[in-house]
Amino acid sequence: MNADPNAPAGASQRLVAVRENVAIARDTYRLRLDDPILARAILPGQFLMIRPAAEGADDPLLGRPFALYDVTTDAAGAPTAVDVVYLVVGRGTAALAQRRPGEQLSVWGPLGNGFGPPPAGPVIFVAGGIGQTPFLALGRWWLGKMSYGLQSKGLDPPCPGSAVGLSSSSSATLLYGVRTAALLAGVNDFRQVGIDVEIATDDGSAGHRGFVTELLARRLKQGERPARIVGCGPSSMLAALARLVEPFDIPCEVSLENHMACGFGACFSCVVPIRQPAGTIDLRRVCVEGPVFAASAVEWPASASPH
Amino acid sequence: MVDLRVTLGRLQLKNPVLVASGTFGYVREMAGFVHLERLGGVIPKTVTFRPRAGNPTPRTVETSSGMLNAIGLDNDGISHFREHHLPYLRTVGTAVIANIAGEDEDQFVAMAELLGQEPGLAAVELNVSCPNVSHGLDLGLDAQAVGRLVRRVKSACPLPIIAKLTPNVSDIVPIAVAAAEAGADAVSLINTIKGMAVDWQRRRPVLSYDIGGLSGPAIKPVALRMVWEVARALPQLAIIGIGGIARATDALEFMVAGASAIQVGTATFYNPPASENLLDELTGLLEETGVAAVRDIIGTLRSNRVPIQPD
Repeated sequence: MNADPNAPAGASQRLVAVRENVAIARDTYRLRLDDPILARAILPGQFLMIRPAAEGADDPLLGRPFALYDVTTDAAGAPTAVDVVYLVVGRGTAALAQRRPGEQLSVWGPLGNGFGPPPAGPVIFVAGGIGQTPFLALGRWWLGKMSYGLQSKGLDPPCPGSAVGLSSSSSATLLYGVRTAALLAGVNDFRQVGIDVEIATDDGSAGHRGFVTELLARRLKQGERPARIVGCGPSSMLAALARLVEPFDIPCEVSLENHMACGFGACFSCVVPIRQPAGTIDLRRVCVEGPVFAASAVEWPASASPH
Repeated sequence: MVDLRVTLGRLQLKNPVLVASGTFGYVREMAGFVHLERLGGVIPKTVTFRPRAGNPTPRTVETSSGMLNAIGLDNDGISHFREHHLPYLRTVGTAVIANIAGEDEDQFVAMAELLGQEPGLAAVELNVSCPNVSHGLDLGLDAQAVGRLVRRVKSACPLPIIAKLTPNVSDIVPIAVAAAEAGADAVSLINTIKGMAVDWQRRRPVLSYDIGGLSGPAIKPVALRMVWEVARALPQLAIIGIGGIARATDALEFMVAGASAIQVGTATFYNPPASENLLDELTGLLEETGVAAVRDIIGTLRSNRVPIQPD
């Protein structure tokens, strides 16, 4: 509840055109928005709000948060468009899936804190459900294959905190769990940029049958010690991930999702219990103080059932 | 050039466009989206005497053309507000109206007294109407209690006093009368309407607090009706209209119904620059209409009903 202001100073709102809105898996779409301003500014792990309703329409009323999937550049390497990948789960995403190329959408961002610079050594991403989406841009950045947040690529020096690949991670692996193979979205995108992908499905229709955290448990048991572990997915999965990693001395971050009405810190909808340095627990806004938190700082629900 | 200045009791504003408490954070969150100095004024999130954690999540849920919230006055308390937020708020270049909620009358008075000593505040808005806390704030349902509170706050604090009233009463007029008689400079109408969303499959309310306050375009007709009722009963009382205001036409509807100023609330959530856009649109619309001063349209609504003539 401490209202401190990692307010996204660079965030702004505008109407942008839909360039593509294509199905890439069951109930899963990739939306490409013509927005060079956002494309130049946004960092891996940050998100944007998209209002699915037509301009002037009151229903669905609110915007929805989406993690940056990737930034598209033109032939000269200048950022031109922003991609998000979403699963249709409710009224907002169902309305979004109806939007066609050329239509205008209201968009605001970049929002949230994003990930820090690349750790030296191998990194493992653990994704559940639609939680793979932040890891494409993150993998490209941490592997030194793409720079983000350049205000004017190639001309101005990057602003402080920009995601420029000066040093990079030695390898990146995505452990990706979904209910069934038809929901796997973007696996080739990850492989094409050099991220190793290992899959788990609840029904065994692809990869390991079982939880994605079991893939990580096996690797840790075999002695793998990545320089960093990053998770994104349902909170029960993230709670299991945090418990699994805790005994090892491996830094682990999680990117949280929560219901948001605004995305920029005004509504106080998206709070999560975060352990403070003094040991107290305080409710903090995912949209401005997150969405990326140290897994050890999150006060996970004690009753979290197995995911 | 339209004259946009409006006067609400002792409070003078450069234009009638305010932003509603609880929808604009502590204002600094909005600096990237809105030229704050252009607004008639800003009202940061409600401050309570002591820090409050607020309610667990889910705290909000979207409904048809609206949303329910049960944030529960999550805030860090009056001391933190004075030390951390007021120094920033003094720099925003427009009227700052602090919004306070006490668990009892004494807490309201104590906070108003503290804020009355602070430089840089234009007014104090009393939140006697939050539906999302379990005790104390129910005093907004009781006309006598509202009157007594306004009277005590006025004697403790030299700033203009605004009472933000709840619509969750059978008749809002006696509450507004009590606030007016006690010397309130204005009343803000309306806070959120109590509502509920249900997940029938889980047999549970959607919100952690079970019920919440409805806001957004869905509540505009109720808010307009209440503003009009109070304006007719109390033509001398300044009213600030709130409820589903997103565009200039919404603002003008409230103003002709009797509001001297308006607050943009939930619209900020789904269109962050809504308040500033509304101000631009409002200026354009008034110019087109040939209105020289916005105050000339306040309360100009006439009833369609033909009075029944006694035989």
